[in-house]
Amino acid sequence: MATPAMDIAVSRNGKRVLNVWFAIVVLFLYAPLGLLLMFSFNDNNLPVFPLRGFTTQAYQDFAANPELRASVVTSAKVASIASLGAVLLGLLAAIALVRRRIVGKSAASALLLSPLVVPYIALAIGLLVFFNEVSVPLGIPTLVMGHVVLAIPYTILILVPRLERLDIRLEEAARDLGAGWFQTFRLITLPLLLPALVSAYIVAFVLSFDEIVVANFVNGQTTTFPLYLFSQLRFPTLLPQVIAVACIVMAASVLLLIGAEIGRRVVERRLGTEPTAPPAGSA
Amino acid sequence: MAVEARKIETTAPPPGVSARPHTGLVTTALLAPPLVWLGVFFLVPVVLIFLYSVNVFSFFPGEQAFTLDAWKNFLDGSPFLDLFWKSIRMALIVSVVAVVAAYPIAYFIALIASKRKYVLLLLILAPFLVSYFLRLLAWKVILGDQGVINSFLTWTGIRDEPVSWLLYSQFAVILTLIYVYIPFVALPIFASLESLDRRLLEAASDLGASRWQAFRKVTLPLSMPGVIAAFIFVFIPTIGEYFTPLLVGGVEGTMFGNAIADQFGQSLNWLNGSVLSFFLLVVVAVLMSIFARFLTVRRVATG
Repeated sequence: MATPAMDIAVSRNGKRVLNVWFAIVVLFLYAPLGLLLMFSFNDNNLPVFPLRGFTTQAYQDFAANPELRASVVTSAKVASIASLGAVLLGLLAAIALVRRRIVGKSAASALLLSPLVVPYIALAIGLLVFFNEVSVPLGIPTLVMGHVVLAIPYTILILVPRLERLDIRLEEAARDLGAGWFQTFRLITLPLLLPALVSAYIVAFVLSFDEIVVANFVNGQTTTFPLYLFSQLRFPTLLPQVIAVACIVMAASVLLLIGAEIGRRVVERRLGTEPTAPPAGSA
Repeated sequence: MAVEARKIETTAPPPGVSARPHTGLVTTALLAPPLVWLGVFFLVPVVLIFLYSVNVFSFFPGEQAFTLDAWKNFLDGSPFLDLFWKSIRMALIVSVVAVVAAYPIAYFIALIASKRKYVLLLLILAPFLVSYFLRLLAWKVILGDQGVINSFLTWTGIRDEPVSWLLYSQFAVILTLIYVYIPFVALPIFASLESLDRRLLEAASDLGASRWQAFRKVTLPLSMPGVIAAFIFVFIPTIGEYFTPLLVGGVEGTMFGNAIADQFGQSLNWLNGSVLSFFLLVVVAVLMSIFARFLTVRRVATG
């Protein structure tokens, strides 16, 4: 049903134009990914027209590549630890920002969110200089430390709105009934916040798994998955393999994020804290 | 996201704040770990970059004495400064085009597509969940001399020679960055249009405003916070973009971030590299403070 506001927002012709523009942008966004997927199944070492035939050779080749598998394991290690750290630190910050009156709140949140806007190259150089100065050998630990910095703002941005929507009276009731603050946190706050924590963990995980700029500077001898893919681009014949594995990761990460978002909505609906904001994964 | 970022700062008395008295100790215990982490791994490194840039610290042992020579060289018309302005230009093109392209999309989803609203929003946002590396790779494959476009053009006989400026050019960097950022830009604009009070549009219409007037006098000004937030979150990181030019830019598409990386990599000139890095950080800080003030003024002006 057309509301009056909607009629004012657009004329019939205007709506047609917007429809077409929407279709063009969607095509622009999806066609490159579709082409990539298509060429990963093409029976040719180069991604060129004409198409030669269907093959899953590239997918079989990469499964047999030990270096590539090792880099996936490395990235999974880094991402699982870094996102755990980012969620824990983000949770502490979110509780402080939402539940407490803080002196210098805007300064604190500006610092906590600053990795969102600061170009990653500057963060990467800073970490490189820092680790060099304090003589920390570069490797998995330094990758984790850097990725925690990058992921903290995202976990905060996911947790703060959920925490704001969480009914404070539940916590106060628990305290009135004699629960200590930790008991209240463990039995009330944490379970209610769990779906958002899982969302935050997955977003941080995907961010770290995919990150390449900071990783490029503080990796030392360690090869993460994106760095491995990048190094393989020098060999054009390996391109189909790179594309194939990238497509698998694309599918996995999209499924993971969408699955987590649906799961979170289901749980929160059951808990009666249904979100009204855009999906967390979009952050 | 940017909208939420501002919300954290502005909800002075948040509805959920406990009525219980707060001990400073607990707040400190909560806030200290994240702040210390960012202090150690972000602020301290920034200070170190500065100290490297004035040669108080040096990559090479020995000769460490305070000097502003590297800064003078840089600011005195060095090629790096030209590269910086080129990066600003490219970042400006990317962010303006991305905002202009995404605004009608956000407008369409927020104000016109009533029922399928969130499905359409997800359709636009989903590519942002796809690996950054993969999205760059897609364009590398599409634009190359033997890429999708050129092999298609030669295969169909439209052209005999491949179009060479498609890849490894400024064009490639700008196109790829616009591609990467459109979903990101659409979100804050959508959020601001979504929260627009529809009755204002009806009132404008009742008072005799045409569609165009209602848009220009009501919708556009009220959606400006979202537009500015979107612009900032593209413009500022793009100035220091490093990986996109590395992958699809070639020599012509090189940006400031690549110069920084080169000073710390192949050139092994940490002194120069630190000057470039710290300069970039200063520019980012200045731009953020300018835009932050503008956003606040806007919010006051538009209630």
